[in-house]
Amino acid sequence: MSLEGFEVAVVGAGPAGSAAAITLAREGVQVLLVERGTFPGSKNVFGGRIYSYALKKLLGDSWKDAPVERFVRKEGITFMTSDNAFSFEFESKDAEGSFTAKRAKFDKWLAEEAEKAGASLITESRVDDLIMDGSRVRGIVAGQDKIPTDVVIACDGTTTGLARRAGLASMLEPSQISMGVKDVIELPSEKIEERLGLEPGQGAAHVFIGACSGGLRGGGFLYTNQDSLALGMVVGGDDVSSQKTQSYSFMEKLREHPKVQRFIKGGKTVEYDAHMIPEAGPKMLSRPYTDGMVVAGDAAGHLLNNGYTFRGVDMAIQAGVAAAQTVLEARKKKDYSANSLKVFERKLHEDPALKDMYTFHRVPAYLRNRRLYTVYPELVCSAAEAVYRVDGTGKRKISREVRLQAKGRVSIFTLIRDLIRGARTF
Amino acid sequence: MPTEESLTLDKRLALVSFAKDAEPFIVVDTDKCNHCESKPCLYICPAEVYAWKEKLNYNTEGCMETGACLIVCHKIGAGAISWKYPSGGKGVAFKLG
Repeated sequence: MSLEGFEVAVVGAGPAGSAAAITLAREGVQVLLVERGTFPGSKNVFGGRIYSYALKKLLGDSWKDAPVERFVRKEGITFMTSDNAFSFEFESKDAEGSFTAKRAKFDKWLAEEAEKAGASLITESRVDDLIMDGSRVRGIVAGQDKIPTDVVIACDGTTTGLARRAGLASMLEPSQISMGVKDVIELPSEKIEERLGLEPGQGAAHVFIGACSGGLRGGGFLYTNQDSLALGMVVGGDDVSSQKTQSYSFMEKLREHPKVQRFIKGGKTVEYDAHMIPEAGPKMLSRPYTDGMVVAGDAAGHLLNNGYTFRGVDMAIQAGVAAAQTVLEARKKKDYSANSLKVFERKLHEDPALKDMYTFHRVPAYLRNRRLYTVYPELVCSAAEAVYRVDGTGKRKISREVRLQAKGRVSIFTLIRDLIRGARTF
Repeated sequence: MPTEESLTLDKRLALVSFAKDAEPFIVVDTDKCNHCESKPCLYICPAEVYAWKEKLNYNTEGCMETGACLIVCHKIGAGAISWKYPSGGKGVAFKLG
């Protein structure tokens, strides 16, 4: 393939990159989509779920061709001590709101949609550098190839190498990253449905908070694929480093819990995955654009963990589309200066889905409160234990029991302050 | 159904496909590590690329390319790690990520 004559280079064929490429190619723009893996998705890892709306908006009816594992109908959360568990569960009537997927299939499929729209995909190509002309980006350097383009869309993921090269970011702090690890555990589909209480084909998502993270910022997750469970842990980068605990060791803590054991029993682990998650939000870049370049997806912090929903792929798609629309407008004006591309930031703020990132901007700070992973899960479990226990020694009213259980663990003042802050944050 | 015995990291890494890159994509100035008190790379890495045996040893073959070692090394540790992704098509390949 000749690497000349492309107007736009999109770096990274993940959801942001492919969504940008689709949007541009449909308008007849000559787009080169560059992927370092042997195929799109081969380098990518996530928890397990994609919210459908972004895909529906991008592809219309053809979103139905997406390689869905299961549509998520059950949301669960468990607060755990090492041997107790307090869970609740929500059953959604929304049949297609979100689904579980495997990135090696999903990202590959979305990149194929970009190719169908007219984008050119090259794989096994690592972008090492930008062609710079002063502070103006004029293309990409991939191995021996210098590829000049009018504009670059950097969707190169968490390590955000191109944004750093262009001076838009400094290195993230350990407190601004998390490490995610996951086991994919094969289990017959009937077992999955039986254990999680699902109808055939339906899926579940579950979050675990408490003992599994050993008191560190973090938690566990479980998503149901068709014939496997994606079971993982996410732990704070600063906590892991300062507590001198190996990031992967939390997987065993999670797996050993009786509640989790019942889900995975008899299963066979078939893959181990890991991924770094940026937790700083869009402020991880000074701005997501510069002369000749825009940045979208994980590379620009376009993702959201608000403590109870974990969103990456939908946000990446929305941001990729917004980046492409920015480029389309700049193309009309034949002006790819930073001044022309700065409309990207406004689009991000105005996008009904992406603006959630700004609404929940206080969440990362709130989630650094260690009591959320130690005191409160213990409190919930021990209060439940006391509330449900009938042993003939006499019962207290629930409010009195909770106050009693809190004693020595957390002051009522601190508890109320955390609750109020929580209410303001979420 | 029998319960799967606990998985060691070695067993986990044996489940992941890697294509070896002849070019060294991680280079560590290990002399600096001798003065590093916190050694955060030993803990953040999900694949134990880094190990301490009187000095820092590293083996990039099991690298899962998260890039987290670079951050903790430069922000908490000795600033000894140079890191980039492996060459195109090389390194880890996830099938079920």
